[in-house]
This record gives sequence, C-alpha cells and structure tokens, in this order.
Amino acid sequence: MMRNLFFGFMAASMAFPAMAADFNKPIEQAITGYIRPATAEFAESASKLPAAVKAICAETTEATVEGLKSSFSETVRDYSRVHFLRFGPLLENDRLNRLSFLPDPRGTAQRQIRKIYAAHDESVLSLGSLQNKSVAVQSMTAFELIAFNKSTDVVLGEAGDNKDYTCGYALAIAENVAEIAGNLASDWADPNGFSKVLLSAGPENERFRSPTEALEAVFNSLVTGIIIAKDQDVLPALGSSEEKAKPRRFPYSRSGNSILYVSAELDGINDAVASMELKEYMSPDNQWIMDTLGFEFKNANNYLAQLQPPLRKTFGEEGSYNQAKALVVNLTAIQDMMGQEVAGALGLAGGFNALDGD
Amino acid sequence: MSARQIAAQSLSRRSFLSALGGLAAIPVFSRSTLAASLIDRSAADNVPLFVSAFKSANGGFGIGILDDLGQVLARISLPGRGHGIAVSPHKDRFVAFARRPGTFAIVVRPFMSAEPEVITSDHGRHFYGHGCFSADGRLLYAVENDFAAARGVVGVFDVSGPETTKLGEIDTHGIGPHEVRLSLDGRTLIVANGGIETHPDKTREKLNLDTMTPSVVYLDAENGELQSKHELDRSLHQLSLRHMTLDANGRAWVGGQFEGSLSETPPLVAVFSRDELPKLLEIPGSVASQLQNYIGSVAANATGDVIATSAPRGGQTLFWEVASGAFLGTQMIADGCGVAPIDQGSFLISDGNGGLSFVGDAEEPAEILARPPGFSWDNHMAAFG
Repeated sequence: MMRNLFFGFMAASMAFPAMAADFNKPIEQAITGYIRPATAEFAESASKLPAAVKAICAETTEATVEGLKSSFSETVRDYSRVHFLRFGPLLENDRLNRLSFLPDPRGTAQRQIRKIYAAHDESVLSLGSLQNKSVAVQSMTAFELIAFNKSTDVVLGEAGDNKDYTCGYALAIAENVAEIAGNLASDWADPNGFSKVLLSAGPENERFRSPTEALEAVFNSLVTGIIIAKDQDVLPALGSSEEKAKPRRFPYSRSGNSILYVSAELDGINDAVASMELKEYMSPDNQWIMDTLGFEFKNANNYLAQLQPPLRKTFGEEGSYNQAKALVVNLTAIQDMMGQEVAGALGLAGGFNALDGD
Repeated sequence: MSARQIAAQSLSRRSFLSALGGLAAIPVFSRSTLAASLIDRSAADNVPLFVSAFKSANGGFGIGILDDLGQVLARISLPGRGHGIAVSPHKDRFVAFARRPGTFAIVVRPFMSAEPEVITSDHGRHFYGHGCFSADGRLLYAVENDFAAARGVVGVFDVSGPETTKLGEIDTHGIGPHEVRLSLDGRTLIVANGGIETHPDKTREKLNLDTMTPSVVYLDAENGELQSKHELDRSLHQLSLRHMTLDANGRAWVGGQFEGSLSETPPLVAVFSRDELPKLLEIPGSVASQLQNYIGSVAANATGDVIATSAPRGGQTLFWEVASGAFLGTQMIADGCGVAPIDQGSFLISDGNGGLSFVGDAEEPAEILARPPGFSWDNHMAAFG
C-alpha cells in the first residue's frame, strides 16, 4: 500500500513540474494568514495572565479563581496553536522550552520545583532572576504545577505558609510567559525578521536556497506537529491497554486543559494548512487530497468533542478510551496524508533520516 | 577555506558559547554552559551521556551531547553534516565523523578544557562516516574511500598523543566500507563493505549497482591480514551490508539497505561470525513490506542480548533476541534512526523530529523523554560515559 502510494507521488511530482515556481505565495499566506495572527493572539492572552495572578493572590473569590482558570486556559490554548511553529522566532533564546517544558515524563520540572521550595529559593520571585534558572521552572508547565493541585483545583492564592512565595513565583512565571509571547509575536510581525528569511529564498539566502526549501521548513513543522500531537500528547496517556491508561500524562491535565490543548494544536495545524491554499500547487488529479485532509481534521474534532474535561477525572468513562484510540488512528491517517500524499503532490521532501540516509 | 579552517573556527570556545546563546541559553541543567570543559565530569558523574550528529533548524550541523533524560548538555558546530561516533574504551573522548563523502572528523574530549581536534582525510581519500578505537584507546580506525582505485581502506590513526597522526591503512577487500567494529578480544576488525562504488566528483551517485558485491570481512587489527570474508548469496548481491553492532557473544549483527526493486522484500538483517556462514533473519511479512528495504542503524542493548535495528523509512525500529534470533516486535517512531543502549537492557532512540524515546520493552509504547526544539537527530547515536 505504502509502496504504491510512494510511486504514485513520484509520478505526480514529475508530471507537474511547474508548481515550484511560486512557493513564496503559500509561505506568505501562512505568515500573514496564520502565524502573525496566531502569535498575536497568544501574546494577547499571555499578557493577561499576570493580572489574573495578582487578582487571585490579592483576594481569593469565585471570580478571581475563575479568572485565573480562564486566563491560564486561554494562554495554554493560544500557545498550543503556535507551538508547532518550530522554526525561526520560537527557537530563539530557547523560547519553546521556556514557555512549556514538554514532554516531561520523568517529572524534571516537579523535581526541580521541589528543590526550589525546599531551599525557599528567592531567585524565582522576580522575572530577571527567574530567567536565569533552568528552563523547566520558568514555564507554563511549572505554573501549572504550583497553581493547581493533582485534582485539577486551583490552589494559587490559598492561605498557607507558602502563599506569598507561590504567588510571587507564579507572577514571575506569568510575566516570563507574557514577555516571551510578546517577543514571539513582535519577531514574527517584523517584516525584516524571520519572515524575510522565509520569503527571500534563493542563492543569496544562507538558510533557504529555494522557496521549496522554505516551504519544506514550514510544512514539515506542521507534519511534526501532528506527530507530536499523536505520539507525545495522546499516546502516552493511553498506555498499553485501557486498564493501564494514564490520564495524567495528557498535556496540561493538571489544570484540566488537555482537551483544549490537543484541540487547539490540531485546529492550529489545520488552519495553518488551510491558510496556504495548497490546492492550487497540485495537479488536478491530486487536489482531492486536501478535501480528504480537511475531512480527517473534522473527524479529529469530533472525537475530541466527545471527551469531557477534566480528563484526570473522566478518562475511562463512557467509552472515552475508545474515542481517544480512534483519535490516534485518525491522527495516523493525517500524518500519512500530510507527510506522504500532500508533500508528494507538492514535490516536497520529508523526513530527515528517511529522506537520504547512509 | 579548507574544512580544517572552517571547523577550527566554528569550534572555538567563544563561538561554542555564542551558539549556545542562540539555541539553548539556559539548559535544564545549566552546569555545562559555564564550565571550562564541555561537560563538568564531577557534575556528570554517573549520568549516562549520549552523542549524536544533528541538523539544526537554522540549517547548520553539529554534534549534541545529551543526558539520559534527552536534555542537550552541550553542542559543537560542524562545518558539514556529521554521521557516526566512535567512543574511546575509557569513555573520555569520542570522534565524530563527517558523513560521506566528508573529509573531516573531530576528536572531542568533553571533560577536558581542550578544543576539539580536527582530523582531515588524506588527499585522495574521504571518510565513510564510521570508525572505532583500539582496545587500549591509542589507535583510531576509520573507514575511508580510496576513490581513484575504488577500494575501501581502514585508516589507522595514532590518537595517543596531543596531535593525531595517520600511521597507515588496511585494505578492506571490498568497496564502500561503512561500519567498522573491533572484536570483543580486541584483535580483529570487522568491516561491513557496503559494496557501492561512489566518487566524490559525482557526489552521492551509486556507480555499480549491477555488479555490487557487499561483504563482511574480518581483518587482523595488528597486521591487516584478511582472516575471513563473507558474502551473501548472489541473489542478494544488491543488499548493501552497512551498519553493524556486536552482541554479547561477539557476533556481528548487520543491517542492510537493498538497492534492488522495491517490489521485493529481501531479508535485511543478518548475523555474522568469523568462521560460520552468515545467518539471515526473517522479518514478518506485514512489517517487511513497510520498511522500504532500509535499515538505518543497528545497536545492542547494554547486556548484548537484544539488538535494535531502526528502519527510518518505515518509521519503526525492530527488536531481536540474540539467543534465538527471534523477532521481538517493533516500535513506531516516526523518522527514528539513531539507537543507543540505555540502562540495563533498554534503548534510547533519536529521530529526525528532535524526539528522544526510551524503549524498555518492545510490547510497551515508547516513552518520549524529550524533544529539544530545533534539532533533527541524524542517523546515529552513541552511548558515552
């Protein structure tokens, strides 16, 4: 099956050689139609997190608790819509890890935070000194660990010996996330920044020798995003059987944001793909692929819509395990379609090791 | 500018630190960034380390040193794409080779305050990307292409002094030697001759697919004498024998890449020993049909009783029981290729999407330990320290 498809793509790409001509256009559409608005939205939601921390720490009321919850959810959601843009600005200054330290199956962030609390380390209380600490303790991953308990309840602002310390630390993280998100958005908004590197591919461009290479960087990051969603965000929670499911392993499950997170990353990838209007670079014989891909993304949404947050409490009930299993099958189909069929129809090269091994 | 100059420049301490600033300003464990050496040995004591070549998202190439949680502790930039890593028996240094037809290799002593040393292949030679140390760590054996004569050689280097010198060459009795391993007793070099003729003027073009004759040879490490040579049946002459590891019994497990029709599914894994006929292993049909006849890396676990063979084109890694030769199962890891032993019996697998996955049991799902952003891990990973 796979072999036949492979030959099919080779033939398709050879039959439609003119398509490489204007790959700048889909890249520009991705930047203006998806990347800039999505990073701006993330900057906007992250900018509100410090105020939500201050509010709940000043007074814990139903409103401030809800305010903190929704502000964190929105920040996580909007981060999830951009985390797969693993090129250019998101890689500067280790931004990705400093925003969200995932995966962390062995609990590195938790371990480092325990040490920080044991030493009552004051350096986490201000933005400047926090930024010199390990990336794991600067991130939303760390924020979730100190602001929520295992049962997904907000504990930030609760009375106790560590209240002020945790509030100070949470505020520093919130400011850090807001600052990085703001810088990410402004870097992408800068017409002379990485956008220009992507859009000026050619012999003079040290990074991208052709628009095809530039489109590969953008497109392959979306394929990697699907692999991350499936292999890193969903599969570890499923374990080897329903009895061995580990709902805590879903990303941001502690704050009850897992479904939001996975939905947002898939929507983001789908929106990014859609922004490029790739159909017009495919031969008429191949254009069906984009319709089928859209259909598969819709299916993914349907599976996710049937899950109930917080997964730490609901996962395993009412067939949710099978919904998640079905989602994995569906994501595998999306991965194959994007990595093989769409890439093949566009004449793009995929997997680094698979491509030209040795 | 020669490769030597470029590499020396990019490997300076200052540029190393500034490169860090661009990609990993404050790693999870910040100990490595400010120490004079790449890795602080006392801090890294008892921490298993791993080394792999990578391509970075900004288009550059390098070598990354990772801990057992998949965090990048240090990185060294390279002037071109790297490939295999030879680790010294004392685990105090490693040599990273350029990918064929590259002409550089670097000797790295990560625990010492020392610049990496650049070795350049002789005129008329290029490296094939793999090598190994002698048992006492004084010599480095590197597979090379004598491309004018279309013959493979093992370059023998003295790495015992402050500066590496080439002592001589050993004929590999074949074309395209790829991976070389030292026998468990330290006396024999085992070389997988891939069989494919290439010439640097024709970059990576394969020149002799109709006549290629891969082999596995056993060479006396002292005098270069051919002890034995194994070829597969003529019907498998297009199965390029390339990557290799030794099991606990010293037998060589070799992974092949088939250059014939993709409609065939020949065996891809074979076991060799000096005085016995090669044994071909069977991959179950449903798996075999997905692999595109391509094995990328072969590694044994620490106890040498399980072998992993990665198949990046099939997005999976296959596991084998040494004692019986039985196929144990596969793990799906997209673009997974580098494999190294971790813990007592497990494997760490690196992939082109930056992921580092822990596989303790072929039946259980792989555990993705980390995915350092901006790294595409290249074909091979070695356990170090």
